Amino acid sequence: MGAAVAWWTVAAVLLQVAGLSLFLYGFFPVKPTLHGFSGAESYRMPSCGPVNAVEQEPALPPNQLRSLYREVSGIPPVYDRLVLMVIDGLPAEFVLGRGGNPPSKEMMESMPYTQSLLAGCKATGYHAKAAPPTVTMPRLKAMVSGAIGGFLDVAFNFNTQAFLEDNLLDQLHMIGHKLVMLGDETWIKLFPTLFARQDGVSSFYVRDTTEVDFNVSRHLDFELVAKDWSVLVLHYLGLDHVGHIGGRRSVLMTQKMKEMDDVIRRVHDASLQDNLERTLLVVVSDHGMTEGGNHGGSSYEETDSLALFIGHSVQRRHCSPYDQNEALQVDLAPTLALLFGVPIPKNNIGVLLPELFNSLTDDQKLRTLELNSWQILRLLQAQIPAFCLEECINSEDSLGIDIHPEYIEKKICHFLSKAFASHQSSRLQQSSDFKSAEALYVGTAVDNYHGFLRYASEWLSHRATDKPFYLLISAILLMTLSCLFLMGTVSSLFKGQSLSQAYHQSESHLDQRWHLDEVFILIGIFLYVISLGSSSFVEEEQYTWNFLTSTLYLIFLIKTVQSMLKGSNSTLVRRVEGKSFDANNFSYATNYELTPGKRDGYKLCTVLIVLIAGRVIRAWHQGGINWVHFPDISKSLAQADSSIVKSLQTISVLAVMTLYSVSLKLLRAKSKVVRGVWWSHISCGLLVLLHIWENQINTSLPINHNTTSIAKLFYAIASVSISSTVLASPWIFPIYSMEAKPASSDSNPVKDIDSRGIRNSVFLTGITYIMFWCLLQLLLQQPINAIPLLLIFLQTFSSIAYFSLDKTLHKQWVQVIAMQFLGMAGHFGLGNTNSLASIDVAGAFIGVSSYSTVLSGILMFIITYGSPLMLYLGMLVYISVKDSDDISTQRQLKLSYILDKMVTLPCLLPLLINSVALTSYTTVLLLMRNHLFVWSVFSPKYLYVCAATVCTYVGVSIIAMTAVYTGAVFSFQTR
Amino acid sequence: MPAQVTQISAVTAAAAHVLCLAGLAAAHALAGRGALVSNPALALRLLVVCEAPVVIAVFSYLRRDRKSCSFIKAAARGLIGLPVGALLNAFGAIVLGAPVGIKYWTVTIYWSLLMSLFTFVPAACVFGASKIDWQNVLSHSMYVLDFYFTPTDADNYIISVPCHGAVLGAWLGAWPMPLDWERPWQEWPICVTYGAVAGYLVGMAVSLVLIAVHKRRVRAKSD
Repeated sequence: MGAAVAWWTVAAVLLQVAGLSLFLYGFFPVKPTLHGFSGAESYRMPSCGPVNAVEQEPALPPNQLRSLYREVSGIPPVYDRLVLMVIDGLPAEFVLGRGGNPPSKEMMESMPYTQSLLAGCKATGYHAKAAPPTVTMPRLKAMVSGAIGGFLDVAFNFNTQAFLEDNLLDQLHMIGHKLVMLGDETWIKLFPTLFARQDGVSSFYVRDTTEVDFNVSRHLDFELVAKDWSVLVLHYLGLDHVGHIGGRRSVLMTQKMKEMDDVIRRVHDASLQDNLERTLLVVVSDHGMTEGGNHGGSSYEETDSLALFIGHSVQRRHCSPYDQNEALQVDLAPTLALLFGVPIPKNNIGVLLPELFNSLTDDQKLRTLELNSWQILRLLQAQIPAFCLEECINSEDSLGIDIHPEYIEKKICHFLSKAFASHQSSRLQQSSDFKSAEALYVGTAVDNYHGFLRYASEWLSHRATDKPFYLLISAILLMTLSCLFLMGTVSSLFKGQSLSQAYHQSESHLDQRWHLDEVFILIGIFLYVISLGSSSFVEEEQYTWNFLTSTLYLIFLIKTVQSMLKGSNSTLVRRVEGKSFDANNFSYATNYELTPGKRDGYKLCTVLIVLIAGRVIRAWHQGGINWVHFPDISKSLAQADSSIVKSLQTISVLAVMTLYSVSLKLLRAKSKVVRGVWWSHISCGLLVLLHIWENQINTSLPINHNTTSIAKLFYAIASVSISSTVLASPWIFPIYSMEAKPASSDSNPVKDIDSRGIRNSVFLTGITYIMFWCLLQLLLQQPINAIPLLLIFLQTFSSIAYFSLDKTLHKQWVQVIAMQFLGMAGHFGLGNTNSLASIDVAGAFIGVSSYSTVLSGILMFIITYGSPLMLYLGMLVYISVKDSDDISTQRQLKLSYILDKMVTLPCLLPLLINSVALTSYTTVLLLMRNHLFVWSVFSPKYLYVCAATVCTYVGVSIIAMTAVYTGAVFSFQTR
Repeated sequence: MPAQVTQISAVTAAAAHVLCLAGLAAAHALAGRGALVSNPALALRLLVVCEAPVVIAVFSYLRRDRKSCSFIKAAARGLIGLPVGALLNAFGAIVLGAPVGIKYWTVTIYWSLLMSLFTFVPAACVFGASKIDWQNVLSHSMYVLDFYFTPTDADNYIISVPCHGAVLGAWLGAWPMPLDWERPWQEWPICVTYGAVAGYLVGMAVSLVLIAVHKRRVRAKSD
């Protein structure tokens, strides 16, 4: 049976992996992007053939490059200086109104200068629709590169690395523009070396609405007089902070908008000082905000961002400023690129805004459209490799124009050839003298170009967000199948177990009735799965887990009390209990006689410890999204003296070291290996202490070589001692020891010692795993998490002790699932949430001297999943102390039999629970794919679910491999 | 054991439940509509003050050991059981995540007194210090499904079912608390109290049904 179970399990896991990767591939498409920067070749018509064969132009000095661009483009730059003013979170509605109506009177009055510019037709404003996720960094990237990144771009760039794709700022820098940046430090993270002068402010302190903007504006006096820069980026965060605190209608809002209006006035005044009027002022917002001031999703309120242009080329006689002028946020990139005479960034999907080019001649306007089309055509060729323009135009000519083209290639072809043909004919008409005819041709050419550009842009942006429905459905079917496999395996296991149980203990009161704890676990998992469908519950998942876990342990408490009452009542039961107590020889209390009264006391204590520790852990971090600002222990500790945190850390490390010594003592194994492991553990503990103290002294230095080498030494010692323990532990315990200790309470020494060897060795391995794991966590986690870690560790230990004190009280599957529940509650107790923001990035670089994505990724995973993995490691200790008399009844130790008894349930149940969670959440995600919060709430959570799946695989494989190795060694020895 | 126990008739059970209901209704009438949301401490205090004498009196009257125990003694047991049960309930609530800040102390105390009236006090009045009965009643809670689908004594139903209802209702009532609906009733312990009272009422109704079914079955058997 064992082999069949294993095969089914492996098959289920493989199916799950296949389904998961299919779903990830379908849901988070990675679109092909073009690498490198556009150069002079972008002013030539794209040729057919492989796109990658980009002829490398020699790098030119900025001035030569600038004149080269001017020469080949045929359009003189419209402006020389750019002021890009980003007002974080300003909805376009506040400035431009909505649906053709001007904004409310209050809003009009709070931005008098801007409104006067709009009314005087000196400015043009657009509702620039931002693509979700509407958070700052991806939106800034979209503005400067014109590309919409996929969700995974956002997810994998949470430690904001430099922006390497083709973008406007780098292009401007390349032709010799000097850049200055004041404001949000995201810009500096994106472009670490680009700016000649910079002053970054952090968006971390959301409560601060004035300082954050003052720190930008204080430089204005200097910068506006300075003549050396030609691109000035201002990024004001205050308005977004106002929104986060008080929502759209906050009392601070009008005041903040007045402040912004004042900045616009100052900048515009300064730009008017230039008589040449070669300065363009662009006021944009990266995203809007909801009524409550939040953003991240895809509602109109959040995506309605502003793009306002103030410069000579937008001035007109007549205008209607409050028309609903729709544009896309990405349109900013090609527009600015063409206005400043640089190549359009390679991955741009935006379309130039024609109103900005009013000062150009008709011919030049057509040229700008042509350049934009060529650039988009190149991008299209990257997406549809078979597409070829020349072939397409030729075939168009021969076949005539297809009215209803079906294929995307045909459609593009149709639009393109129309556009190029009309452009060509307008060029031909230019030489002739018929002005009216020329204007007519230009008009059709412009229309045709726009037709193509809009269509291609839309297609490209859909390409980034479209989801192949059937692929996703089949992925979910695979996962469901895997889930059913696991369920079938577990249920067949239960059937076999109940049969053998009926055979073995007919007198037993281990009945088939459903107990409250069992019913509760099923209901609890059901409620959890239901709760995944609500975005609020996903945001506040820590409450769900805490509630379920503590309820489960409260039920354990009631059950313990009940069994105590029962025990003191009926003599028959006492006899049975006494018998089971005789057989109970769990390793670390082997030689301790426990009276039933004392045992009950211990049982009560262990459950109470779990409950109370759980409550303290819950109070430690006020996690989640909505109630994060409520006071909690970690916040008050952060405000307190740092020496308190340090001493708490020290206490935790010392406690872990002491507990390890005590449990090794209980093992009573006088082996050199055990002593060696003990010493290495102590030295590791001391290293962690040293690391803590070193860190405390030099908090000012970002990278301390001393601490790095300490951490490295720790990794080395820990890995050596863990692997040597794992390898050696099965060999050091006796298999047949006839000189059995007479003190042991066993009735039949020969048989029992058989199983004790295995159990002791698993115990030693498990306890070594978990203790070193604790030290590793204490090293990596934030200092504030030291006590919660210790508490989770205590919970693990108390649960194991509780389960081993009375083996008949709960069924084994209840015990395994209870430990898994503890792991999940602890995961959130360490301050993790379902948003990517709570991942501790700082810890991922401890002991890593050079930047390595893989290493820090692993460390980040270790930090984030510290608690569930600790419980999986604890499962090994649990296996070693749980009741397994059956092993001893076998004279010969058969490997499959040992494994069957020891690890099937502890391995299968976590896989099953995780599979249920994964499958149901994947279904939820598919159903919610058009939900408002799909990118801000559901997708980050999905990444966590995937990581939890990986965590389950890791934990289960550690359990399984250790058990297989130990069992194999023992069966080899007995042979 | 069942020989000395006076069987409770369905009418007695109904009367007991109606009296308890009347206590709740009186508190509701005194506090006024929506008082639990606007002033939870006052409303909870009224609930406890109105319900406590009713519950203690009713269940002391229904005490098990009529011969050895007077009404006064049973009532005294109930009075002692009230703070003890409150302590247990408060422990449970805090472990499950009830806030422990000073400003919540009064409401937590009143809430746990009320829960004690729903759960612990009836059993304390009826059973006293009888270990067997306590063990019985706890094991009913452990084998929930069995308890509801296999017949037992009528007075087990009258005590256990409303108690289960109150606890389950309170437990379910806590679920909306972390959500971002920004309603005043999401505060501790308002929705939990609503849940507990609702569950208690449902439990009373269910217990009456169960008792009636049980009686009919017993009669059919004896026929």
